[in-house]
Amino acid sequence: MSIAEQHTFAIRPDVTFSVLSAGHGHPVVFLHDEWGLSWNPFLSRLAEQFRVFAPQLPGTGESTGLEHIPDLWNLVLCYLDLFDALELESATVIGHSLGGMIAAELAVTDPSRVNRLVLLAPFGLYRDDCRIPDMFAMLPQEIERRLIFDSESALAQQRLQKPTSVEEQVEQAIRRIQAQQAAAKFLWPIPDHGLRTRIHRIQCPTLILWGANDRLIDPVYGADFQRLIRRSQLQVIHNASHLLHLEQTDTVVDAIRRFVLEAETST
Amino acid sequence: MKFIAFHLMPYQSLPDDFEQKYDSVWVTVPKQLFDPAEGHRMYHEYLDELELAADLGFDAVGVNEHHSNAYGLMPSPNLMASILARSLRRRPRTNLMVLGNSLALYNPPVRVAEEFAMLDVLSGGRLIAGFPVGTSMDVNYAYGINPAELRERYYEAHDLVMRAWRSDDVFEYNGKYNKLRYVNPWPRPAQHPHPPVWIPGGGSVETYRFSIEHGYSFSYLSYHGIKYARKVMYPFWQTNDELGADRNPYKAGFCQIICVSETDERAQQEYERHVRYFFDKCNHIHPRFAEAPGYRTPASLRAGLRSQFDGSMKSASQMYREGMGWNDLVRERFVVAGSPASVVEQLEEGIEDLRIGNLICLLHIGSMPKWLTIKNMTLFATEVIPRLRHKFAEWDPSPYWPKGMPNAAETAQSV
Repeated sequence: MSIAEQHTFAIRPDVTFSVLSAGHGHPVVFLHDEWGLSWNPFLSRLAEQFRVFAPQLPGTGESTGLEHIPDLWNLVLCYLDLFDALELESATVIGHSLGGMIAAELAVTDPSRVNRLVLLAPFGLYRDDCRIPDMFAMLPQEIERRLIFDSESALAQQRLQKPTSVEEQVEQAIRRIQAQQAAAKFLWPIPDHGLRTRIHRIQCPTLILWGANDRLIDPVYGADFQRLIRRSQLQVIHNASHLLHLEQTDTVVDAIRRFVLEAETST
Repeated sequence: MKFIAFHLMPYQSLPDDFEQKYDSVWVTVPKQLFDPAEGHRMYHEYLDELELAADLGFDAVGVNEHHSNAYGLMPSPNLMASILARSLRRRPRTNLMVLGNSLALYNPPVRVAEEFAMLDVLSGGRLIAGFPVGTSMDVNYAYGINPAELRERYYEAHDLVMRAWRSDDVFEYNGKYNKLRYVNPWPRPAQHPHPPVWIPGGGSVETYRFSIEHGYSFSYLSYHGIKYARKVMYPFWQTNDELGADRNPYKAGFCQIICVSETDERAQQEYERHVRYFFDKCNHIHPRFAEAPGYRTPASLRAGLRSQFDGSMKSASQMYREGMGWNDLVRERFVVAGSPASVVEQLEEGIEDLRIGNLICLLHIGSMPKWLTIKNMTLFATEVIPRLRHKFAEWDPSPYWPKGMPNAAETAQSV
């Protein structure tokens, strides 16, 4: 696995982003989901192709200032400030789940900063006829069953492992709860902040990837995103639930690589 | 020593297999289980019981707020309190405790300043104003408040309500969550400048400090008794001492299930099944709803999780799940029960240990019928209170207790 660097960017006196980065080439910003971010095999594979920046959401990991970001709109502005701090005029933005929703809102708010968009099973749309279950009212084992298609896989087993020392268990639980708290700030109680009314503003080529067996956000949402974003394509990933990029890392990375290269030749 | 007759007003007619058949008594409890005819009977019996408590000379009668549950039928405690306020006119020594209104749930929170002022005027200046944060089931799950904003909303609402009571002028409030050009609630409270404020809370250091620094009375509303309460009341007094505050016991209250009968044996015969109804059914809360992420601060989480992971302290509900006979329940003081002499002895020890001037007595519990509640309240008031009344006599309760209606002359002067 490639070694990531970690740097802190103070975009405001009261908001700092900790950003993991690795690789060279075309800049890619990865926005993580509601379980926090640590460097993982998916990011390593991406960093073989691209220059990857993976910021931690304020209030999670080493990033701070969640309490000074009143709403989703201000959060989006914080990420645009981070683009300035990273000296990124524009980048490919990949977002998973909560991160997918933020990525879509970035492309809505300032289309000039997002040259390609990759949405991995994002939040953002909500259908009363196909409700997204309340993950904030699930026990950890109930969430895990929904996140991963193959409960026997190495990934599933690895996620169930607990540290041996009590101190580490406590800290692990707190990191998890803090990530959930930060996510809840933007997803509670129903993850619908009106993206549907703005989504037409997304102009860049967009790749939507969805686990065929997603048990958190039904794949029917993939078709909705595809229909509402003009230059978009949907690819369904087999044998994957909601953590598709960790469950089927090779397939997802290949799809992203092809998409970015195609978009490069067509633009 | 002060004694409050507190009532949860539980729904008494849950099916026998409720806890096997249904997920949770809170948040998702099926509405079909509520029979309005039964509800009608219960409300009026419960109000009768609290009126009796006032006749018996309790220092206050008390109600509180919960939502979407069969554990307590008071989404609006103020409605119950307003009925009681009328009957308290004939019972001049009894005060009215609303413990309380969950501040973050009211939009705008000026509503709390208004309704509490109404209750204070109606009751003749005898309101105790409680400001709970509320349980996560109530505020986050049933009422949808974002857990990341809950405490900020609570503190801002507190600030707004207190300013509304203290200010003689119309003022503007430019908060993060509340923006009001004209804050000017009518009526103003009978007590000047405002009723005594009580803060019900759990084990959060922030809450101890908040309560002590503002001169409020802190109450621990646990249902696991005066022994288990050490884990909250010891740190409360430690925080109090670190802040250099006085040790007035009336700045602390505790809620205790109490069952009095002629003998210890009879207490078990009469009360056990109603106590079991409470612990088995009214406390049957699915762990999914126990706590939204962000409900507790990281500091409180860290302390709680450590004892959970290293097994150093079992939670009270874990103790109950592992099986407790009646004698265990009494020995651990989940329930204070027995003859008047036994009850005095059990309470006396706990009251001194925890240093609580305000004993919030749960004399109705679970499925307890009216006749038994009357017996319990009467025995407690006549046989127990007189033997504990002298406790903490050297301390002045008045900073934490209602002042009553200002007399006409004073009112005339202040206008």
